[in-house]
Amino acid sequence: MKFKLAKFPLYLAITLAAVFFLLPLGSAAEYALREPLKKTYGLDNFTWFMTQPDFGHYVGISFGLSLGAALVTLVLLVPTVIWLNLGGARLRRFVEFITLLPLVIPVVALAIGAQTSLPDFAQTQEGVLSFMYAVLALPYAYRTLDIGLRAVPLNTIVEAARGLGAGWFRTILQVVVPVVRGPVISSLFMTLALSLGEFTLTSLMHWDTFTTWVTTISQQNILGAIALSVFSLVAVFVLLLVIGLFIKTPSSQAQPEDK
Amino acid sequence: MSSTTLSLRGVTRRFKDTVALNALDLDVAQGELVALLGPSGCGKTTALRIIAGLDRPDEGAVLVGGKDVSQLPPNKRNMGMVFQSYSLFPNLTAVENVAFGLTMRGEHKKVRLARAAELLEMVGLPSHAKRFPHQLSGGQQQRVALARALAFEPDLLLLDEPLSALDAQVRANLRDEIRALQLKTGTTTIFVTHDQEEAMAMSDRVAVMNAGKIAQIAKPDELYHNPADQFVASFVGQMNRIPVVLDGHKAILLGQSVRFRSDWAGASNNPLALVRPEDLSVVNVAEGLGNARVVARSFLGPLSKVALTLDDGTEAYAVMTSAHSADFQLGTEVRVSASEREYLVVAG
Repeated sequence: MKFKLAKFPLYLAITLAAVFFLLPLGSAAEYALREPLKKTYGLDNFTWFMTQPDFGHYVGISFGLSLGAALVTLVLLVPTVIWLNLGGARLRRFVEFITLLPLVIPVVALAIGAQTSLPDFAQTQEGVLSFMYAVLALPYAYRTLDIGLRAVPLNTIVEAARGLGAGWFRTILQVVVPVVRGPVISSLFMTLALSLGEFTLTSLMHWDTFTTWVTTISQQNILGAIALSVFSLVAVFVLLLVIGLFIKTPSSQAQPEDK
Repeated sequence: MSSTTLSLRGVTRRFKDTVALNALDLDVAQGELVALLGPSGCGKTTALRIIAGLDRPDEGAVLVGGKDVSQLPPNKRNMGMVFQSYSLFPNLTAVENVAFGLTMRGEHKKVRLARAAELLEMVGLPSHAKRFPHQLSGGQQQRVALARALAFEPDLLLLDEPLSALDAQVRANLRDEIRALQLKTGTTTIFVTHDQEEAMAMSDRVAVMNAGKIAQIAKPDELYHNPADQFVASFVGQMNRIPVVLDGHKAILLGQSVRFRSDWAGASNNPLALVRPEDLSVVNVAEGLGNARVVARSFLGPLSKVALTLDDGTEAYAVMTSAHSADFQLGTEVRVSASEREYLVVAG
């Protein structure tokens, strides 16, 4: 293949980005595979963290809380965005503003806000983290969902279904849900992935999950903790890859006309 | 066949300060295809949406078969609708899309699949039954949408600019197919379009809309030859505006006396006759005997358009066969006259 000079800036940008992302990852992986006592490479650090008694416990907690966050997104965000795309467009700016707040407000302010404003019973429930994770994932989950929904002419499809004799319940169940399934699942996985890796808020609110546990055990075995970080990073990456491979929004684009 | 009549009685719809429909009255006979034609913002789509039940009128009533359906939701109206944008359900195949209306009516699977197959056959897509919308072209998607709208034998078929997203050739073919299908099924149809050629070619009657009202409703040829007012005349087809001198019940147009009618009440120093390009005849004459000069010629296939400048400086167009237009060289003096018929005279 002939090298095109015009594309040099593109190749350069891709190479720099790849180095920026892959170099630290590669270094971490290399570090995690070291076995200093044997002066060789191996999987000892990976087997070490997997055999830790609390490993399964904290993975379970993190998964549970992340699934809770995904459920909060499903119950609160999905209907909101569907409604915005169906007829509530005049409130779109306001909702967009609200969803951007978690990016603007420092996590420490969110944590302190939650601790001072939540009722006492909620502060003693670990499940409150699910709500907080859902809030933190809001900017990404909202945009994933909104972009996906905008790609389908939802309003026209709903009007078509209504005109064909479907009541609201059947329209939502048999038309809207299947059509928006792809974007909804994408946004839920996005919430799940972000929640699984959340550390700052959890730590500030004095709860223990998988990410805080990693920090704790790093004091016992730094190489094991790095191996654990690499493992969780790859696990989340694989999760997102699965989304990209299997979640496809039904397209409303037409093929070219037969001539 | 379950087609029926449609009447709109004083239908008014306001959006804040804008009056989209202003006491609109319309009667459509059983089996008739009526086009709502007009510029953007004239209220034609609002009227269609109110008929479909997708919008509610602020005042007035929608009667289908004599029954007031104004307060019924769209799913209780038994109307088939084809939208401008592709509206097929992307998760369903063509045959499932067509059968959707029958599914909502609780038809047995065997019955609805047979009916859907019949409709797909009717729109020329029997081999595309298992394809998903994204595997169909725009024209094919609109055919499936048409089959879907007709599958449950609706009382009314509503078409909201169904051809506007398609390219010219597909558009022309589908236009004929829709009309043939409508005649075959006998379904009372309302067709919204801003394309006058489409409206004239497909409809039994055309309702030209302006500012939320029907300016004129008539058969296409009547609309073309006898426009009610200046708006209809200028919106439908091309029109020359040639100065005339009024003389009692006659008007002097291009030096000849013609009958006229007027849509303006007051006197004017500058009355203009609205003359179709094909109503002007052009002949070569000796220098000094003409009343116009040829300034341009456009070849349109079998016909040509000849641009003229009249003696008083008015620009006009005449349409004639291309063979005839070859007689006129650019810059030559010609004699232009108008056909013997009644002309609409408007204020200049």
